[in-house]
Amino acid sequence: MHDIGVRETVQFAGFTFNWETLVMTWITMAVVILIAFLATRNLKMVPSGWQNVMEMVITGLHSQIDATLGKRGRDFAPLIISLFLFLLISNWLGLIPQMASPTNDLNTTLGLALLIIVMVHVLGLYFKGGHYIAHFFKPVPLFVVINAIEEVAKPITLAFRLFGNILAGEILIIILLKLMPIWMPVPSVIWLAFSIFIGGVQAFIFTMLSMAYLSNAVKEEHEE
Amino acid sequence: MIEINATIMAQILNFLILVVILRAVAYKPVVNMLKAREDKIAESLDKAEADKAEAGATLKKYQAQLAEARTKAQDIMDKAEKAARDERDASIAATKHEIEQLKKAAQEEIQRDREKAVAELKGEVVNLSMAAASKIIAKNISAADNEEIIGEFIAKLDKDKIGDLSC
Repeated sequence: MHDIGVRETVQFAGFTFNWETLVMTWITMAVVILIAFLATRNLKMVPSGWQNVMEMVITGLHSQIDATLGKRGRDFAPLIISLFLFLLISNWLGLIPQMASPTNDLNTTLGLALLIIVMVHVLGLYFKGGHYIAHFFKPVPLFVVINAIEEVAKPITLAFRLFGNILAGEILIIILLKLMPIWMPVPSVIWLAFSIFIGGVQAFIFTMLSMAYLSNAVKEEHEE
Repeated sequence: MIEINATIMAQILNFLILVVILRAVAYKPVVNMLKAREDKIAESLDKAEADKAEAGATLKKYQAQLAEARTKAQDIMDKAEKAARDERDASIAATKHEIEQLKKAAQEEIQRDREKAVAELKGEVVNLSMAAASKIIAKNISAADNEEIIGEFIAKLDKDKIGDLSC
């Protein structure tokens, strides 16, 4: 890895792109698609082996989504599943030497967070209309200030939580490798293991919070 | 370190592409498969139910047929028994009738034989009596008296003795 925090950039059509982030994102996408493809390429009516695992994951997520998002939730299942898989693989990719997580770039995390929040508001307006706007002014109109702050805070917390965790993990890996002599790998290994755990947890948290935000907009009020 | 640039748009686009691809490649097939399996299980259960009902109906039908067949067999047996009995009765009656006829014919023949024997005997007795009487009485009595006495004797014979002849 290069010096911490310095990003290679490329110019394309007048825009600046972080090249490394883009490449790592594409690698992540390729890995996710490959995994999904391998797991589902040979579906049988009577499941066996990995198909059982896949079905368990999907039915489990379905029930989770049904509980959180209500009956409209099924339409968002692919989004949720993709989000989780993408974040998980992203977070773990950076733990491989010479690789970096796409999620160690704020562009990625903020992009995803903004996507979710924009979706929340658009879907809220689409499904609930004026009722959705009105709920920002409850219980008294003054609450609109607090609500506005909350709505702004949502994507920022979502993005920075993930970004901070992953970037910190990668930085610490580099620092530990630099601090410790090569015959003393124990701290690095421990931190690496912990980073694997953090990667999973952060992916899970991001996904769960996205679902929670979405449920505000999508779930019907009188629905159980 | 923290700078927002056009990468943010690229990342959103990348993610949306990933969602579309995953949906097409992995999610749809699995969900379709789950749905297909669900349908198949439901269908199998329905079919099992229908099969069971059909089996029950078939069983009932067969039982009814069996009972019917049994009754029919009983009928046939009864009829056959009755026919056999009738035939036997008829044959017994015919035999009895035949025996009766044979007996009657035999009795008639015997009667005829006896009458013939009686007539022969009568002639014999008359001749013998005539010979005996003519020898005893010689010429004392006329032929006419003779005839009368013999006739009387014969009549007496007829009345008392002839019944003792063996048949």
